[in-house]
Amino acid sequence: MEINVLFFGVLADVTGTSRKHYRDIKSFDDLKHRIGDDFPEITHYNFRIAVNNKIVNEDPLLRQDDEVAYLPPFAGG
Amino acid sequence: MHLINGPVTTSAISGIIAKGGENQECGAHSLFLGQVRRDQSDGKYVRAIEYSAYEEMVIPEADKIFKLIMSEYDDVKAIEIIHSKGIVKAGEISLLVMVSAGHRDHSNKACAKAVELIKERIPIWKKEIFEDNSAQWRENE
Repeated sequence: MEINVLFFGVLADVTGTSRKHYRDIKSFDDLKHRIGDDFPEITHYNFRIAVNNKIVNEDPLLRQDDEVAYLPPFAGG
Repeated sequence: MHLINGPVTTSAISGIIAKGGENQECGAHSLFLGQVRRDQSDGKYVRAIEYSAYEEMVIPEADKIFKLIMSEYDDVKAIEIIHSKGIVKAGEISLLVMVSAGHRDHSNKACAKAVELIKERIPIWKKEIFEDNSAQWRENE
């Protein structure tokens, strides 16, 4: 399946992009590994994951065209 | 909740206060203004903050905050939130929260709670820009 991945805050700087499109993704675990291979430095940072605007705690079931966002700790205000 | 480009201006602030007057059952409006602080780090002063947001997630999260506050403080009639995105200079306002209630007890407590929830739950990030144009990401304490 195809998945859109968004990077925010410090992670957009670290990865050098705010958006990347992945094809042939089999599962969330597969996606995590693909992202880890593309951007190994990302593992040094704290972040949470959102799927379609909702924060997920466990490995979610991904569907075609889902949007997965990497969210560093929030800093509004 | 509204995300606006640049600082929350005095005209935006007065507009929100004027809107509060339309709620004639309210006896209290509690207003919080968050200002960009001229912090110092390694001898350099912050001249501005650049805010970025996951905009599609901001409104759903703000709606959850509204529901939580309304359920906890039943005297609250309205909550207004404006947050900046983009560049806000030191001394300018980046966050406005106004809670309107029948009485001051609930407006004060709900306003303080709303500010804490915004910092905790709204997907916004800030990068401090120093006077020499170097920059660093900053997390909330």
